[in-house]
Amino acid sequence: MPLREQRDVKEIKGILNRILNTNSPPVARCRLLSTGFNPGHALNIAEDIGGHKECIGCGNCVDICPFLFREPSRRNKTEQRTSMALETIVGEDCDECDACVLACPQVDTTIKNYVVQHRMIEVMSRLEQRIGDEDEPDLDLFIEEVITQR
Amino acid sequence: MDFEIPEELKMIQSIVRDFITEQLKPLERIVLGRAADLSDAQMYLPLEREQELIGIVKEMGLWGVSVPEEFGGVGLGTLGNCLVEEELAQTVVPFSFGDVTPILFDCNEKQKETYLSPALNRQKYPYLALMEPEGGAELAAMEMKAEKINSHYVLNGKKVSLSRAGKEYFGAVFAVTEPDKGPREGMTCFLVDKDTPGFAASGGEEKTGWQARMRQPITLVFDHCQVPAENVLGKEGKASYLGRKWLPSRRIVRGARCVGAAQRILDECVIQAQSWTSFGQFISGRPSIQAALGDIATNIHATRLMVYEAAWRADKGEPIQRLAAMVKLFATQMIHFVCDNATHIFNAPAYVGGLPMERFCRNVITTSSTEFALQLQRNIIARDILKGLKV
Repeated sequence: MPLREQRDVKEIKGILNRILNTNSPPVARCRLLSTGFNPGHALNIAEDIGGHKECIGCGNCVDICPFLFREPSRRNKTEQRTSMALETIVGEDCDECDACVLACPQVDTTIKNYVVQHRMIEVMSRLEQRIGDEDEPDLDLFIEEVITQR
Repeated sequence: MDFEIPEELKMIQSIVRDFITEQLKPLERIVLGRAADLSDAQMYLPLEREQELIGIVKEMGLWGVSVPEEFGGVGLGTLGNCLVEEELAQTVVPFSFGDVTPILFDCNEKQKETYLSPALNRQKYPYLALMEPEGGAELAAMEMKAEKINSHYVLNGKKVSLSRAGKEYFGAVFAVTEPDKGPREGMTCFLVDKDTPGFAASGGEEKTGWQARMRQPITLVFDHCQVPAENVLGKEGKASYLGRKWLPSRRIVRGARCVGAAQRILDECVIQAQSWTSFGQFISGRPSIQAALGDIATNIHATRLMVYEAAWRADKGEPIQRLAAMVKLFATQMIHFVCDNATHIFNAPAYVGGLPMERFCRNVITTSSTEFALQLQRNIIARDILKGLKV
């Protein structure tokens, strides 16, 4: 079965860039900009879900979020694994790495291609800055101290 | 430009070198084991012997070289510490000149008396409890929590410590007090006495034979362990800022340890190359062996200069974050390279038990850091280079 035509990024470039520049997980808004389910996504159900855009709660975005990996206590705040849960628990602490967009099965491939080709390189320098600003304590020093004790 | 080591430090270096040659190196066989199957190999020296050696070092006035004077130590600078560590690393006998982790330097007056001074004098052994059985060294995944109830904190959880076990001890325990803030802002360090109800330590017993090569971890269990608020080390939630003034320069000192160990490996390699023959000639005459020796010596020299320069700058009070990261990166790579080449010269003896070589290679490779940590050092260096370009 042929895939439905996916969103042309040229049409939504302005709003997409605004979403990706916002300091919050962009996956839900990217999903809403996408074309929704294809008929081929449903296995054996009578209802036609083509074009639906609801989050299926697969949790891919929650699992891939590097911020939640660093701070798992936030992840444990809720059992929900939807994009809304991600936005709520990460909020403005988002690294803006766009990994959640790439992990979501409901975001159009055209949007993912745009993110990979035009956004990821810009994100890297911002991310690296977060790893260890000079003012922040270097936790690695503690690990070294513990391991190399005589 | 002056490459000379200051006279007073040269003197200390010479005293330490004599001590190690006369006192420690003859004891290497005790540690490595004399029996054919090495069943009597040990991790540490016998306690009485160690006490004797500590007495000698105290008489020399060098006990606590790395500890600042205000905490009862000698307060040698970073360069002085590097010179001492470089010499100490040249023997497989585990011994230090009164080394105490700078994490404890943030003790208040009362804690200094109860914890820091006994730790310096080896009356109490500090168990640094940072890692956990589940999360390992990943601080973000720290599960152990401390809850404040009135004037106490209640600690619950398990920790693993690689510190040396002793009869008298106390725990320097890291626990999460504010889970929302993450490890940088929500971690607190507690000093927990041995007899505190709900605190139990097990493991860490000294093994003999082949097991002596591995440091046995100590498991610390906290079950509703009540710790008074006055036992918080530093400030609540600020454990990641402990020892901040001293910890970065320790990275340079660890680089010096790599230099010392590499120097001893080179010395052993030279002895081997000049005493082993193949096809009627000493292997020292073979070009491939000479190339390996040359490579090792060049690498050691480069690292030594790097360590000394970084230490000199640290003593001048200059920012050393980038230099310390460079030292760690290069020294770790250097020691792996040296071990690799030494294996070539010895024709693969790094796995033959009972040789100082084997213990050296094993020690330096296990204590040198993981690839991830090196990647972090590369990031620190690169960020410092690119600092002017930040937008």
